[in-house]
Formats: sequence, structure tokens, C-alpha cells
Amino acid sequence: MAVTPPDSARYLALYVAEAAEHLEALGRDVVRFEQGATVELVDSMFRHAHSLKGMAATMALEGTEALAHRLEDLLERLRADVHRADATAADVVLQAVDVLFTQVRAAAEGRPLPDAGPVVGRLAALTASLSPGEGPSGAAPGEAQPAPPPAASSLGPEAPTPGRVAVRFHVSPGASQPAVRGFLAYKRLSTLGAVVGLEPALDELKAGRLPPRGIRLELETSAPEAAIVRTLRTVAGVELEAIGPAAAPAPAVATSAGPERVAPPTIRVRAELMDAFLEHAGELLLATARVRALSRGVPEAQRPPIDEALDRLHLLVKGLHDEVMRARMTPVTLITDRLPRAARDIARLRGRDVELVVSGDDVELDRALVDALAEPMMHLLRNAIDHGVEPAEHRRAAGKPPRGRVTVAVSRQRDRVVLEVRDDGRGIDVERLKALVSARGLASPEALRAMSEREALLLVCLPGLSTAADVTQVSGRGVGMDAVKRAVEHVGGTLELESRVGEGTTVRLSMPLTVAVVGLLLVEVAGETYGLPIANVCGVVEVSPGAPAPGQGAPLVAWGQGVVPVHELATLLELPSSQTPAKGSPFVVVEGERARLALAVDRLLGQHEVVLKALARPLDLVPGLAGVTILGDGQPVFILDVARLTPT
Amino acid sequence: MRHVVFRLEAFRYALPLGAVREVVVAPERWTRVPRAPRVVRGVMNLRGRVVPVVDLRELLDAPRPAAGGPGRVVLLDRGRAELGLLVSDVDGVEPLELAGPPPPRASLVVKGLARLGVLPVTVLDPDALDAAVARAFTNG
Amino acid sequence: MTAKPKTVLVVDDSVFMRDIIKDIFGAGGFSVIGEAGNGVEAVERYKELKPDLVTMDLVMPDRSGIEATREILKADTSALVVMCSAHGQETMVMEAIEAGAADFIVKPPRAEEVLAVVRKVLGVA
Repeated sequence: MAVTPPDSARYLALYVAEAAEHLEALGRDVVRFEQGATVELVDSMFRHAHSLKGMAATMALEGTEALAHRLEDLLERLRADVHRADATAADVVLQAVDVLFTQVRAAAEGRPLPDAGPVVGRLAALTASLSPGEGPSGAAPGEAQPAPPPAASSLGPEAPTPGRVAVRFHVSPGASQPAVRGFLAYKRLSTLGAVVGLEPALDELKAGRLPPRGIRLELETSAPEAAIVRTLRTVAGVELEAIGPAAAPAPAVATSAGPERVAPPTIRVRAELMDAFLEHAGELLLATARVRALSRGVPEAQRPPIDEALDRLHLLVKGLHDEVMRARMTPVTLITDRLPRAARDIARLRGRDVELVVSGDDVELDRALVDALAEPMMHLLRNAIDHGVEPAEHRRAAGKPPRGRVTVAVSRQRDRVVLEVRDDGRGIDVERLKALVSARGLASPEALRAMSEREALLLVCLPGLSTAADVTQVSGRGVGMDAVKRAVEHVGGTLELESRVGEGTTVRLSMPLTVAVVGLLLVEVAGETYGLPIANVCGVVEVSPGAPAPGQGAPLVAWGQGVVPVHELATLLELPSSQTPAKGSPFVVVEGERARLALAVDRLLGQHEVVLKALARPLDLVPGLAGVTILGDGQPVFILDVARLTPT
Repeated sequence: MRHVVFRLEAFRYALPLGAVREVVVAPERWTRVPRAPRVVRGVMNLRGRVVPVVDLRELLDAPRPAAGGPGRVVLLDRGRAELGLLVSDVDGVEPLELAGPPPPRASLVVKGLARLGVLPVTVLDPDALDAAVARAFTNG
Repeated sequence: MTAKPKTVLVVDDSVFMRDIIKDIFGAGGFSVIGEAGNGVEAVERYKELKPDLVTMDLVMPDRSGIEATREILKADTSALVVMCSAHGQETMVMEAIEAGAADFIVKPPRAEEVLAVVRKVLGVA
């Protein structure tokens, strides 16, 4: 049944999201299918096409419905005869997937569906060729749905195992760092016996995820229940909900983090709604800080109850904010899932033989970061295959295996997510890179000489350089590296390069888990307050600068083993210069676009965690601003985009 | 047509009521926008939102005031993004009809002239104001 | 409080933070008998003063709070160490708990929470 037009708008967003998921999954399957088709794989592809067909029909999108139907026909045939599945079949399926994507995109934007074009014919022809004696419109394939997978085993009402106790508890609302509190309770209970079941799983808890329904723990112990209750009572901020003999062990919920884990129920929420939640939660944090600042004006005697109420309010709001942030966590698979297909396309196009290995895709990070990273990651992959990995004959000549290898590894390291793209290609020749930079006048020979290996490698990210064609030859990198670096830094991440000539290159992106709350170093200059993202700050120096080095404009200040050039922040920001740098006025050493630099400021105001607000038009046109926030006193403060402060 | 009538010192200006979201007292302390064009007075915190405010005097090349009160900010209604105009004071909402074309060599943001009783009022074009601000930023 | 006040050693490299924590303990009826500004000092003072409880900053010069906690617990397995963490240090707090810390409080410290945690740990709720 088709949805009537007025209703369809309500469902469109869901349709688009889900259709895209099916198509992406289908694209992934095709890549695996090329490496060897199996009935299961074709089955999976068939299911995706079939689901899409049904959804398109519901949305009255006939073009998509028809194309999905054709695809379904082909896959139906292939399923019956898997060994006929070859590269041609894969190509046709991929073409169909691409057209379906453009159709879904058109539907999303309210445009008429683009014509499916020749791909319909190719699908039909291939389907026909696979079924001798029957035309493409042969007997309709039965709706032979594969049998539903057996229901995941759940906690059956079986006889309790003696000595096994199930405890359910939750962390009191408003407690700080609730997941750590949960962990503490788990740790304390584990002293009483062996923990044989834990929900959420231990690594979830360690990653800071605590479901609102609380914690369920199964303990194999000889301790009486009363002892367990007593132990739990020694942990502040934890409340016991239930305790009793445990049901028979259910392997699916044991501490394993395997794929068999029963997924908790989920709902779909529109992405923009999640953004609005976060924005409001952030505003609440700011509003609370504002009220607290105002309450300082209340006479001392009346303060305690107000402070207490504010503390409570702050905790509630902070809790809400944290929960919204958690809800926005998105699996990094949204990025990594696209890579195999892209790798295949790039390698085919450029005539490379490349194997892509993706690992660690169970990591989650903020949706905004996932969005911001999708493009840079694709870029890095393209660079690795196109410019890093050499053609097979060169590799053979160099004594390397002819097939190149690109590894994408995602891992969580403390409070950051690290994404690594590594290739075993030609690597970056630092000396030649320096020569090129020097020839283009992008850096002085002295500066180049003083550079560490790490700094020199980052030269490939120079804006003027990375688009130049000849860089590809020298660095095996190049195209768009400046854009990648900027995109990563824009969301509070950092980019590092490692490379060895002839052995390959690794690009490492280190990202915060979330973007909306950022740590700032607040500084005062010319009577104004500005925030420098802590992620960009290397340190602070409080000495007067040395005499200007001969032949150079900027004075220098000692930092670590070397010196860094000093820039007046007031001058960079085009503020009416306050005073000449007083003796002992502080410098903040930051990671600039090309190298470290010291920013002279009037005063350091300390570190703050703030809610970052994006800049609305026309403020986003101002170079050097990364965002804005509102401090507790109600004053807006700009957050500087350190990398883009220096004149280029 | 109903207009919001406001002043830069003694001179009266007007914007169509539909183009104005609200009028607020200008803050005592501004946050300066670094590297912004000269017409930008700064940003203000309007109930948790950060709103850029343009000094209408600078935009119109009007004479600098002899120091006065903090002034008022006329907030333009332009969808999600907001923009404020700093003026000396706001008179109120009055019905106005255009009585004549803009004077020669007037700014592009002037739509025409109207009269309020005997007083001349310069009527501004909100879209042109928006465009002028955007131009200032992109050229600036 | 009728019983003898419980004794506390406050470890933090920030004097400011130590003062705030001391004031909270003072108001809550505890007796702060010593302070330390780094991990090495913390271990020495613990051995010398034998307090009922230690509050331990996580990040300090000269031996981290986690290492100091390990040392103190090595010297006295019944020692009660409460970690002082900050937003974003969840992983480190969990490491400290693995190392034997009794509980944790979060900076900026709020009197109500600090006292609730400490009383639970000392069993004087």
C-alpha cells in the first residue's frame, strides 16, 4: 500500500536513512562477493534488494521499486547458481547500487527520480543469460524468505544454580562519573566471589557507558546475600534494586563481547533532533553557570540553600548533557564500512593491486565527528592507494610483494579515538620534500634545517604545496592533505605522520570522543577574553622574549630544546595593541599551521571546559575563529582556530 | 504599512515591522569580533544565543555620536541566523507610506523617504541591509 | 560528633585544592592531620601519620596518585585511599580502583558528595 502524499514527508527521512543503509550493506556484500560468492552472501544481498523494493513501493517511488525488483530478479538467479557469479555480475550489481543511491538522494531532496538508464537493460540481459530457456520475466520467484534466524537464547526460567546470586543495582541519579561508580561497585562485589555475568559488559562500563536501566551482575559465591547487601552499602551513590538466586547461566549474556551479544532495544531518532537535544542540554549547562555567577551577589547568609539547589541543578543538567552525548555516540563503522568498496573502486581505476584490512570497527564516537571524518578518511585512503602504493611491477622490482597492503585501524586510547591509515608503499622522502618546499619559498632554509623529522613530514599538509602535482612524485601523498588536516583540527583532533622511504606511510588521526564540550585555555589580550583549545596548546612560557634574531621579524622565545617565534595575539587578531609586551608577560606555545609558535598575551585566565557553539552566518566568514561560547558571567567569548591565526 | 521607527541621534529611520524580531537594550559590555569588518560593533548574548550586532552608523556612514546612552539593538528576523542593528533609540511602531525615492547618493540600503507628521523618516530595505553586511564580511 | 574525629591526609599538588578539601573535611567533623603535594611525599606522610583515610589527587609531579596509592597499599593493606579525579579522567580512576583505591570524588569537589563518599568508606554514615 502506498503512502498518501501528505504523509510521505513524515516518512521520507526514515526511508532515506534506511534505504541508504541497505544500499551500503549491499555494496559491501558485492566487494566480498568478488572474492568468492556463497549462497549466504547472495542471500544477504537479495534481502537488501528485497527490503528496498518494499520500502520504495510504500513510498510510491516507482522507479526505485522497479530497479530494486530487477536487481532482486538477478540475485534470485544467482542464488540458484552461485558459481555463475563473476566480476561482470559484480559490476552490474554495483552499477545498480549506484543508480539506486542517486535515486534515494533525489527522493531525499524532493527531486524527480533520475532515470535508471542502461543498467536496467544490463540487469535484464544478465538475468536472462543466467537462465537458459527462460526469459527475464519468467516465473516470478517465490517469496522464499530464508528461515528466520533462531531467536537469541534468553534467560530461561530454569532451575537456579546453587551459589549463584543475581544482583541488580543502579547508580544514584546525579552521581558524578556514574560509569566509574558502577565499576567501583562491580569491583567491590567481585571480591566476594567470581563474577559470571555482567550487564552492561565490562568493556562497556570501562568505556563509560552505563544504561539507564542499571547494572545486573551474577556472582558465584559462597557469601550469604546479606553479605552482598552489606558490601554494596559501603559504596556511595549506588542503590540496590533486587537480589536473589540467579537463573541458569545464559552464555549469551556472560561477559563475552562477541557478536552474539543480545542487542538492547533501540529506536531511530532523526539526527537533527539529536543535535537539538545536545544544543539544549548545552544551553542548560551555560544557563546554570550563569545562575551560579549571579548567585555570588546574594548575601552570605542566604547562600547555602541556594548553593545546594544549584549543585543539585548542575548535577542534573550535567547528567542530562552526558546522556545526550552518549546517545549521540555512533559506531565508526559508518565510516569504515564504506572503505572496502571505495578501495576497490580506486584500485581498479588506478590499476593497483591492493588489499585493505580494516580493524577495530566496534569503536563509537560522536555523530558530529563521524560526519566530519567521513571525507578525510576517504581522502587518506585514496592517497594511500593512489599515491602511496606503487604499481605492482615497481613493487616487484623493489623486492616487495606485488600486492600492496593498506591497513585502517581504529582504536580507543583513553579519552580519544585514534584512526590510522597505513600503507606499505613508497613512503615520503623528507629531504626531497624539504627541497621542494624551499624551492617554492614556502619556508626559509633555516627553518627547514631546524625542523624535526616529524615537523618536516607535516610539510605535506602545507596549503600551497599539497595541491601541486609534483608533490605526488616526491611524497606519495599530497592531494588535499591540507584539507584533511584542517577538517581534523576543526573538530579538535590532531594529525601525525610517520613515514620511511620504501617502507610506507602512516597517517594517524587522534580525535576526542565528543566535540561539543571542549577544554579551553582562556587568555586576556587588549581587554578581551579569548579561548584557545587545549588540544592545540603545547605549553606556557613566562619569560620575556630574547632580542630579535638578525634578519628575522619575529622575536624568539626559548621552548624545549629550541626556540619558537613570538607573535602578538593582539596583532594577529587586529586588535588595538594593548601595550608592548611587558617583561614577564606570558606566552602560550601553540601548534600552528606550519610550526609551533608562541602567542604573547596579557594574562592567562585559566582552564575551562565549555560548550562549543558553532558560528552562524556571517561570523563563520571570519578567518581564525573556531566557535564561540558563553562564560558564566554571561559574556560571549570566541574560541580561536589556532592553526589559521597566522598570516599565510 | 507598519514600520519600526528608530533614531540615530536626531535622524529617524524605519524598517518594516515584519522584518524586525524584537528590540532590546544594548549591552554595556560588548565582545569584540576580531578581524571583523569595521561595521561590526561586536556580539551580544541574547538569552543564550550569540548575536552579531552591526553599528548602523558605520553602515550608513552617519556622523559619530557625541557619547550617549548604551542605545538599542534592533534584531532583524532573518530565519535561524540573527543580526542586530545598533541604533540610538527606538520611537515605536508607526504606519508609514513611502513619500519619495531615496535621495541622490544615498546608501544602497535606503529604500526611500517617508513622513511621520512633519518629520522626515528614511526607510531602510532589510534585504539590502543583510546583503551589505554580508558584503562587508566577504570583502573585509 | 561524639566519637573521636576520623583523621585524614590530603594529597594534591594544588594548595588551593588542598584548602578547599580541608575546609570540607573541617565542616564535616573530620580532622585533617596532614597534607602532601606529590606522590613521594604522600607515601612518606602516610607511613608517618597513619591517617584513617587519604584523599589522593590523580595527576601529580613525582609519582602519580595511582603509583602512590599502590605504594601505600603495599605498606598497609587496610589503607583507605579515595581518589580525586576530574572530568575526563574516568579511565585513570578505574585504573586506581583496580589498584585498590576505596572510592573516588570528582573535582570540583562538592561538600555533600565528598562527605557522603568518605563516610561510606569509613563506615560512619
